Amino acid sequence: MEPVLLKNINTPDSHRIDVYIKNGGYQALPAALKMQTDALIQMVKDSGLRGRGGAGFSTGLKWSFITKDATIPKYLCCNADEGEPGTFKDRAIIEKDPHQLIEGMIIACYAIGAHAAYIYIRGEFDFGARRLEQAISEAHQKGYLGKNILNSSFNCHIYVHRGAGAYICGEETALIESIEGKRGQPRIKPPFPAQVGLFAKPTVINNVETLACIPHIVNKGPRWFASIGPEKSPGPKIVGVSGHVKNPGLYELPMGTPLREVIFTHAGGIRDGRKFKAAIPGGVSAPMLTEKDLDTTMDFDGMAAKGTMLGSAGVIVMDDTTCIVKVAMRTMGFFRHESCGKCTPCREGTDWTYKVLHRIEHGQGKDGDVELLEKLCGNIFGRTFCPLGDGAVMALRGALKNFRNEFEYHVKKKRCMV
Amino acid sequence: MLSTQAIENIKKAIAKYPRKKSASMDALMIAQKECGHLTEDILLEIAHLLEMPPVQLNQVAAFYTMYNKRPVGKYHIQVCTNISCSLLGSEHIFQFFSKMLGIKKGETTSDKKFTLSEVECLGSCGTAPMMQINDDYYENLTEAKIEEILKTLK
Amino acid sequence: MATVKINGKEITTEDGTLILDAARQAGFEIPTFCYQARLSRLGSCRMCLVEIGGQKKLQPSCITPVLHGMEVFTENETVKSARSSMLEFLLANHPLDCPTCDKGGECELQDFVFKSGPRRSPFSEWKRRFHEKDEILSPIIVKNHNRCIHCERCARICDEVVGVSALGGIGRGAKTQETSFWNTTLDCDHCGNCIEVCPVGSFMSLPYRYKSRPWDLKEADTVCPYCATGCQITIGARNGEILRVRSKSATGINKETLCSRGRFGYHFMQSGKRLTKPMIKKGGKLIECSWDEALSAIKQRFGMGRKTAGIASARLTNEELFVFQKLVRDVFKTNNIDLDSRFANKWVTSAMVDICGFGEGGISIFDALKADTIFIIGSAISDENPITDYLIRTTASDKRKTLILAHPRRIKLNSSATISLKYKPANPGDVIKGIVNFIEKGKDKAEGDIDTAALRFKNASNITMFLGADILRLDNGVDVLKNIAVLKTLLKKAGKNINCLPLFDRCNQRGAINMGIHPLFLPGFKKTEEEGMDCGEILSAAKNGEIESLYVLGEDIVSMYPDAGFAKDAVSKVKFLVVQDTFLTETAKMADVVLPGATYAEKDGTFTNQEGRVQRVRKIISCVGDSKDDLSILDNIGGFGYKSAKDVFDDIKEEVPSYKDILFDALNNAGVLVNGQGAGVMSHESGVRSQRQEAIDDSEYPFQIITGNHLFHSGRLSQKAHVLVKLLAEPFVEISDEDAKELGLSDKEVVIVKSKEYEAALKLRMVKGSQKGVAFIPENFDSVSVNLFYKKGKGIPKVKIIKQ
Repeated sequence: MEPVLLKNINTPDSHRIDVYIKNGGYQALPAALKMQTDALIQMVKDSGLRGRGGAGFSTGLKWSFITKDATIPKYLCCNADEGEPGTFKDRAIIEKDPHQLIEGMIIACYAIGAHAAYIYIRGEFDFGARRLEQAISEAHQKGYLGKNILNSSFNCHIYVHRGAGAYICGEETALIESIEGKRGQPRIKPPFPAQVGLFAKPTVINNVETLACIPHIVNKGPRWFASIGPEKSPGPKIVGVSGHVKNPGLYELPMGTPLREVIFTHAGGIRDGRKFKAAIPGGVSAPMLTEKDLDTTMDFDGMAAKGTMLGSAGVIVMDDTTCIVKVAMRTMGFFRHESCGKCTPCREGTDWTYKVLHRIEHGQGKDGDVELLEKLCGNIFGRTFCPLGDGAVMALRGALKNFRNEFEYHVKKKRCMV
Repeated sequence: MLSTQAIENIKKAIAKYPRKKSASMDALMIAQKECGHLTEDILLEIAHLLEMPPVQLNQVAAFYTMYNKRPVGKYHIQVCTNISCSLLGSEHIFQFFSKMLGIKKGETTSDKKFTLSEVECLGSCGTAPMMQINDDYYENLTEAKIEEILKTLK
Repeated sequence: MATVKINGKEITTEDGTLILDAARQAGFEIPTFCYQARLSRLGSCRMCLVEIGGQKKLQPSCITPVLHGMEVFTENETVKSARSSMLEFLLANHPLDCPTCDKGGECELQDFVFKSGPRRSPFSEWKRRFHEKDEILSPIIVKNHNRCIHCERCARICDEVVGVSALGGIGRGAKTQETSFWNTTLDCDHCGNCIEVCPVGSFMSLPYRYKSRPWDLKEADTVCPYCATGCQITIGARNGEILRVRSKSATGINKETLCSRGRFGYHFMQSGKRLTKPMIKKGGKLIECSWDEALSAIKQRFGMGRKTAGIASARLTNEELFVFQKLVRDVFKTNNIDLDSRFANKWVTSAMVDICGFGEGGISIFDALKADTIFIIGSAISDENPITDYLIRTTASDKRKTLILAHPRRIKLNSSATISLKYKPANPGDVIKGIVNFIEKGKDKAEGDIDTAALRFKNASNITMFLGADILRLDNGVDVLKNIAVLKTLLKKAGKNINCLPLFDRCNQRGAINMGIHPLFLPGFKKTEEEGMDCGEILSAAKNGEIESLYVLGEDIVSMYPDAGFAKDAVSKVKFLVVQDTFLTETAKMADVVLPGATYAEKDGTFTNQEGRVQRVRKIISCVGDSKDDLSILDNIGGFGYKSAKDVFDDIKEEVPSYKDILFDALNNAGVLVNGQGAGVMSHESGVRSQRQEAIDDSEYPFQIITGNHLFHSGRLSQKAHVLVKLLAEPFVEISDEDAKELGLSDKEVVIVKSKEYEAALKLRMVKGSQKGVAFIPENFDSVSVNLFYKKGKGIPKVKIIKQ
């Protein structure tokens, strides 16, 4: 497939507005501004675009939930809090092709009737944040942002809001809280952000990659987009591969590319001549898959069918030297560190589970520990306030399901089997 | 006391939002850039500027990991040890730093030059192992590369 | 309406009802920690998870509303096991130090674990500990964070109800601590509501620490003796000693909340300085004597007729006050009877009775707060009536409502106000006149805040006005109330529904007025045949030697009357002075006979709060030493033969029609609002007399003094409660930051406040947003008696403030 989103990232000065324009940028915006907003939303619906943040909700449908009442202020938030371990796709767009995102955001604002948008970028992306500020200012100078954009009487401002180190802010309501200047703790849903969101106003939250798809859909039409990959989750998809592969990095592939092809064709297979052991297909929350599942296709439904998820399509590949207990412990340590502390099962559950895993990994496992882990998973899963706790459990359950013997070995022999 | 420049910048941040309080994260970062770490007095000053209860500002300061509540060295070395980096030897990288600088996790060298921290995923998994020193990313780390980097940090 | 099935039981409830409430209605108990009815929804503790038919995940019932046709299970195995597992999580790191925890025996965590918790824990890891020793956060709060279960009730009540925002969760995840800004000493309202709502032993009361076990306490529900909000309190005593005051989430208009006075102001009862024996003056000295000697002296020496008078405190019960007026009128044969409160003249009290429609019966505060527009004038309500402030704050969080707050000082409630109006202490009438003017002239364009307020009135349909006790103090109070009456009539004519409620600073002020402690009317507002003298007139007459016998019940006139010199001089001229009180006050020191009375916890009776709600006061401890309850003392002197408060109440019902339907024995924690009395209520309009004192600005003395109670104090009583003294030990002068800047003064510096008559050195407090040219000094301190600034007949004192 011809790259779409990553087409220009290796072009020199690809982050500059004139380079972007030269390569066909800012052509979708004037076209979109001439459309009725309903038609624009319908176009996005027709394209079949599903959110690239992980949940895979229909973008057009999300937009259509926003009230048409022009007297009510509305907001668009771009979720650039890329923090799911294994994920590094949005950073590339932000740093290398920020105008693609900004053009997508202006169109999205126009479609939902928002005049202000915030890019919530994780605090560590200092370079990215500066790139975005620069790009926004360039867009202002060219008249793509600000008042009366391209004489359409549409006004739009984009602001960069920098996070400061909290994975939970990738959850949309925690993200809103964070923009409002509070701790990033998720809010009760309903009301959903589409009704009561940022500053209590209707709000759409979209991922960077999702928004970057918008100009292309406007330019090439929804049918083009829908024709890429599987019918139910079409489009180009940026897959990030990391871990024990020869060529880690980003690969833009059609949705539905089999995991085997991603790892062995594009990423060059396992490095140092080792053997493939397992892969986490969509960031650490996604349960790991083993050899037998390598032919699963990388799309929302294909992954769901195997009890895991496409998530952010950040593939972490592990070879046969990997201790799964250690991976499980490290992963749980991450969730424990990132649990916001609001709800009981996540706050206490991730802490407890980590302590047990830590013991097992350090040769102090006890009989019944594996059963205890399973019990703790059951006591957390489905009972937490937001999906963070579920993610922690899914990751551990994935490890336990496929490598229970390694955990038992650790408990019994007080050491690792690999 | 924050400098007039910092206060100016905080006021600019306030202008981005319909509510002053929203600028709390920007304000804390602006203050941290200027003062190195956040103290009780700085928080009180910011809370006053943003017209918010100080405790609510400290909630923000204490929730996010990037705000330093204790002094850090001139160079804050933050090594990612999450899965992708860990698979490719981030622990070794961390230990190497620890040995080179003679400090443990969370510590600062006696000359106040380096602070060594372990951090969660920095979104650079394709170039693991990696780290961040102050605002900059350093990727595909090896021992040799680290030695080179340390030489440039005066 | 929605019909739902809960555990197979069908119930119909209003749309939007939470599953939790529906289940409770149906008789099923669901445990909760983070849920608290008046607080914002959190849904975080996950104790209340229930199963909903057709849904895979369990749902938190405290944030999920019922839907018609829903099937809910709250008791099945899945739900029970989830509940048990949440408790297991909460116990994992809990120190399990119940034997040394003050909360033991009334701990919600303990109770739930006992009911539905696991019996064993598989947790065998190291427990996190935040600290080894408990942390003292304030003179009233001691905190043990190791026990916290993160329900955030403390922070939410502080923010949403009290309006202080002093607490918050600091940290992230399991490391979060609910604490003060920097985990250091709190500078807050010290109301202790965080302690009250804490389900575990995390926030604890320092004064109560290690004092008792709940099962060793004898508790009684009674009414707070401070302001007229009328909060229900529960007093706990052990071996005759009061150890704590608490509030209950299901009781009273205050529910779980109290203010610092209510919760920590009880120590005066056991201060050690209480009067324990009657005293009689012999050879110019007060010496202890027997009750027989004291009472017969009064019976022999107290005069009769015009040259006698009685002044009572509005802190006494209805029954005591009723008997007191009976004593004064029937035995002493005079209508010279008045209340001490704010030393209002009789016309302004009458006007207040009229405008607030006391004759029309009580108004529930909750009905009053249903109004779309709420107007408060003449009260620093956050200091004077803290729980009314809480109720208004929570109401005003509904942004559809308008809250207009008019006061010279910037107070806590200003942050919730839609419009804040300012005026000079002597001129609240200007605000009203401005509003009337706008409406009368049919204007619809607002220029300035008063106009904006007027516009809100114009657009309102349901208005509640709260009229504060500041107005009672003004010489021109009648004029102010007249202006308000004009506004009220104007708005009524425009078809608006209007309620008027007083904001009083003494617990039984409304009751006292109902009981006829007034020179113009008898119990039930029946006009006296002959006009008596009010407090000011009594003192003036005394000064001229025209009062020979004076009975002062429970009030320290010499300390509190505005113009201390005058009051002292006047009282000294009284030939026979009887003081019945609980302490040897400045007035009592001058008495010929001193009678030791009782505090509210030592007697039975009723208080009527500012809404007109009659509530039971219950005895929990016996009188100290030889002191007696006030009712029996008064009864003895009068020879009426009353055996109990209930006995008196039966007579009250005869004399005061609005109390007719109230059953003394049936009074529960909700109290009963007095009825309207129908026809026959006297109108005081005819008697309204203006005594207007124009406040003339004086460039040499640019500040007008405004005084009143501080949040931690009430009258001089709170000075005897050592915890309250610890919270604020000395008075201060508060001015606007603008004034302070102009004068080159800084916060906390000691300044000289000087009038023509008096000067005092006081610490300065700057407040942003107060009216310029206004200086507030709390009236609660013996050390700087604010009434020394006053000069009778000269109105509001004017002072200058200079650097020391």
